[in-house]
Amino acid sequence: MKTIGKLEYYLFALIAITLFNTFLGEKFASTTLVTILIALTVTYKGFMVIDHLMELKGANKNLRFLMRLYFVIFPSLIIVSAFY
Amino acid sequence: MKTNPINDSLGIFPKSWTEKHAGRIPGNIPIWVGILSELTEFGIFFVAYFIAKFYYPEEFTQGPQSLHTSLGVTNTIVLLTSSYFMAKAMANIRLDNKPKCERYLWLAFLCGCLYLMIKTWEFYWNDLQGFGPSTSEFFTVYYYMTFNHFLHVGWASCAILWVIYRLRCGAYSSKENSGLEALAVYWHMIDLMWILIFPLLYVLR
Repeated sequence: MKTIGKLEYYLFALIAITLFNTFLGEKFASTTLVTILIALTVTYKGFMVIDHLMELKGANKNLRFLMRLYFVIFPSLIIVSAFY
Repeated sequence: MKTNPINDSLGIFPKSWTEKHAGRIPGNIPIWVGILSELTEFGIFFVAYFIAKFYYPEEFTQGPQSLHTSLGVTNTIVLLTSSYFMAKAMANIRLDNKPKCERYLWLAFLCGCLYLMIKTWEFYWNDLQGFGPSTSEFFTVYYYMTFNHFLHVGWASCAILWVIYRLRCGAYSSKENSGLEALAVYWHMIDLMWILIFPLLYVLR
């Protein structure tokens, strides 16, 4: 059973990262560095939801691996797209 | 944690994937078949996005600047909050606190409705600006992805109503809540897809 404080921490962290991403996109030219930063934060957000809200951390290791892999592959494609 | 019988008997995944070998499956196997199918579907959308961006870089630089970013941000926060409410509903059913569980499910449902209203307003706002699915390759991908996601939030919100009804009928408790958990993981999957869609369409230029 998760403590209430932890769930709230995850929610605030996810919202803060979303606002940070938007700030980066709005205020800075879309450089390779900005794109990489955004891709990394997307991966982090994905892992956070998968592990702590979906509760796959400590659950079925194959499902967790597949879900996390998804959030490695597509953010990697975001980074690749920065070099188009 | 008690093993759900359906997760042992439904021979869809290899034996090494069963709860006995790989660990507990949140919800049940049928919902994970659905979730993996949905991930494949959205994966195809994302690949289409990157291919289109490769061929039409100018449209994908201009496109996000034409969108109402504040509405995209608001919807992201609404969906993240709904996932939080869903996690709280799960935490409360495990304590057998059904009234609180129901309250959080209603809050998640309201977030789903709010998302749908904001998205509808955004489509209307786009229309007022003269943007539609055939405006450019960016907008074709935008409408394809966001409308599909819109549908997913719509039917998952209806599923929340069904789960609330089942909860009131006494179908869920601290010992048996796999149906509620199946909805929770599906809802989180929808949130996860938006976590990817949002930067692709609104942030990256």
